[in-house]
Formats: sequence, structure tokens, C-alpha cells
Amino acid sequence: MKKTAYLMALLVFLPAASIFTGCQKGLPVDEDGLLITTRRECFVSNFELLGNDFVSVRNGVPIIDTVAQTINVTVNFGTDLKNLYPQFTLATDCKLDPKITGKVDFSDLANPKSWTVVSGNRQIRKAYKVIVKVQ
Amino acid sequence: MRNIYMKRFLPAALALTLLASCEKDEYKIPDPISEISNDCIKRTLGPNIASLPIEFVYAAAIPNTKGKLAFAEVEASIPGATGTYLEHRSFYTNSSGVDVPVTVGSPSVTAGAKTKVTFTVDTNAVSLRYYYIVPSQARGKQVTFTFSVTGSDGKTATMKMGPYDVSMMEIKRLIPMSNNNLMYLSIADMTSYNAASAAANAAKIDLVYLYRTTPAAYQHGLVAPAADPAAYLPGVTLPAGVNNNTKVIKVFNLQDRNLARLQFGIYVDDIDMQKIDFNGAPNFALGLRAESGVWVETADKKYRAYVFVNAAATTGIATVSMLRYDQTAK
Repeated sequence: MKKTAYLMALLVFLPAASIFTGCQKGLPVDEDGLLITTRRECFVSNFELLGNDFVSVRNGVPIIDTVAQTINVTVNFGTDLKNLYPQFTLATDCKLDPKITGKVDFSDLANPKSWTVVSGNRQIRKAYKVIVKVQ
Repeated sequence: MRNIYMKRFLPAALALTLLASCEKDEYKIPDPISEISNDCIKRTLGPNIASLPIEFVYAAAIPNTKGKLAFAEVEASIPGATGTYLEHRSFYTNSSGVDVPVTVGSPSVTAGAKTKVTFTVDTNAVSLRYYYIVPSQARGKQVTFTFSVTGSDGKTATMKMGPYDVSMMEIKRLIPMSNNNLMYLSIADMTSYNAASAAANAAKIDLVYLYRTTPAAYQHGLVAPAADPAAYLPGVTLPAGVNNNTKVIKVFNLQDRNLARLQFGIYVDDIDMQKIDFNGAPNFALGLRAESGVWVETADKKYRAYVFVNAAATTGIATVSMLRYDQTAK
């Protein structure tokens, strides 16, 4: 008798538990649906520039200055500056604003493009300038 | 009492749910083939391009009691170009995976749209290859094939294949390019020219091939004649009238099977030519190497092409192949 009741309870509650496991409420998410964490780190750890053919156009390593908030990158001679794909590697839980959705035009070398890194807790924002030089 | 019922009913219901979809179909013994019969597969993948073959394998068999195979025939809705033929050898694949031919008939005879092989040996089953060379007049159209086999008893089996779309693209393989000599590439003529010939065909010159070691990133380049001469055409004096501003998009890892003839199963098709966006595209592509390529749009926007670099040597010699799409031909 006891055993049957136990079995029935198990049969009813196990599927219910499986269904609701992933729906835990309470963790804050931002407007992009990303978790807002407690992390305060806010920096760019690596940077890459890809050409139209998805091959790197960098000439040497990028120089990332986290104090001055600049990224200096030299690209190969003959790079098509109007059609480049920038790739940022950020500190854990950070995100980039504005988002990179496709090709970016870097041809206006006098006016470097800028992106803002937002920390995991979404409280700290740091604007990084990407300064491109042609080899 | 209720608990006992639940205890018995629940496992039974679960088992029934689980097994509901496992019902077996009863095996039926297939009907023995009692008449002449046939089957066919298309072996060629990718777009059907004028001047290239479409390959089929046509199998036919007749029961021994009904006689032997007399002849096999293929009729194409558009007659094939020169080189179209039906194999007169039947192939089987041996244990090492090698296709071994066995001659079963006289070489095929093509008359108009029909290609025929008459069997010369007493055979009950064959597997014949059919190579249809796509004619240029089929570009942009559909082509269908009717395969048939006739036995010595006079009975015939027929199989229709298709319709297959024929690409609008044209292909030219292995165009030699060389620094300071055959350096002018014409998309309209699908060939390379030296300076003297380029002057005579100035309006048709779309790209200039250069090989430079300084700066180091230059290497092999395909540059529009209208590109910045100081930066991208160093040391080049263009023939009079060569000034097209061709748009070029550099690509890597697009080893089209028809152009590269390598192990990659990638095909450039009409839709790629139609959809590629040349807005903001530059007029030069530097740093090219073997197995890279460029999408090209001519200055008059008549042609789009994919130019693939088959080989590029440090001696300043390159070999390119191209697929060309005429945007005005519909």
C-alpha cells in the first residue's frame, strides 16, 4: 500500500519537476536577455579584424591600452577598409555597445570608430577607440 | 482495492504507450522481375553548365527466359553537344572499389537527340554510363532524358529523368596569367591578353594581374585598371583605353568543384551570382594565393564572374579559372 502510494507520487511529481527545472525565476536579465551578474571587470582583452574573405588583415598584434581605452591595429597594405569584420574579446560577462552585426567601414582613418564595453553588472561603461593604420 | 487497480493499470498503460509506435510491417516477398526492366541515377552533382557533362548510370536487365538485351537508347530533349555518348561498356565495381569495364556492345551512335548502343554480346544485364555534354543553347532552359532498353523479345522498358535546370553560367578553365605579359584579364572574352592585344580589346579588359613582393602583403593581385595607379598598379603603364572600374570581392575557401577540380564539394551556382552584393566593393584584390578567388562585376554590370586562382607561383605566374554569369541574358 505504502509502496504504491510512493510509486504514484513519483510518477506524478518527477515529470513535473523535470518540466519546471529550467524556469527558475529571480535572476536579473538585461534588455538583450543576458544575465546581469555582479562582475565589475570592464575591458577588451583581444581584438581581431577580418577581411571580406574572413581572413585576418592584421599586420602584427593589436595594441590594447585599457587605461587610455584605445586599440591600435595596423592592417596589411591593400586591405579593403570599407568591408571589415571587427571581433572583440571582452572580460567575462561584458557586452559591447553598439552590437556588431556585419561589416564595418573603417575607411575614415581620421575619425576612429568607437565601441563601449559594458561590465557584467551593467554599471560600468568604457568607450574604446579603434585606431586603424595601413601598413 | 483502488491501489491494486492503479498498481496494475499504470505499468500496463505506460508499456502500451511506449510500444504503440513499434508495430512491425509484415515482410512481403518482392515480385520477381518477369519482364525487361531498367533503372537510372544521375551521378553529377552541382549546377549543369554548358560544355560540361552530366553523367548518368543506366541499368537494364531481362530475365534469361525472355531472351537477351538488344539495344539501349537515350533521347535528350535538347540534343547534346559534341562528345555526348552512351558507354558501350558495362561497369561493375570490384572488391577494391574499382569500376571495371566489360564491353557489351558497339560504340554508341548519336543521331540528333538520340544516342544508341546496340549490344553485340549475349547479355541479360548491363549498367551503362551516359555522358551528356550540355550544349550552349540549353543555357537557362530545362533538359529531360528518356532512357530505354529493348530486349530480343521486342519488349521495351523506359525511364524518364529530369527535368534538370541548365545554369546560365559559362565556364573557362585554366587561363594563364603572367606578370608583365599575359596580365590583362577580360571577363567578356574569358581570356588573358598581353599589352598589345589588350590595346586592341581595351573596352573588354576588366582586371590587371600583378605580382609584387613589396610591400610584402601585395603578392598576387587582380586590380581594376581604374584603381589608384600609385598604390595598386605600381610600375604598370596601361595600354590606351584600358580604364574599366571593375568591382572585386576577395574570397577564400570557395574552391568551386568545377573550377578547382579538388576534393571540395562546393559549387557556385546562378543564385550566388544573382545575390552577391557589390555595393561598396573595392576595385582591387591583393594578397591572392592558390585556392583563393574573387567575385567580379564588370564596370558595365553586364557580367558577374567568380575567378578562382588554381595556381600562383612566386615567379609571377598564375593560372585562373572562371565562371561567368551574363546578367543581360534571360
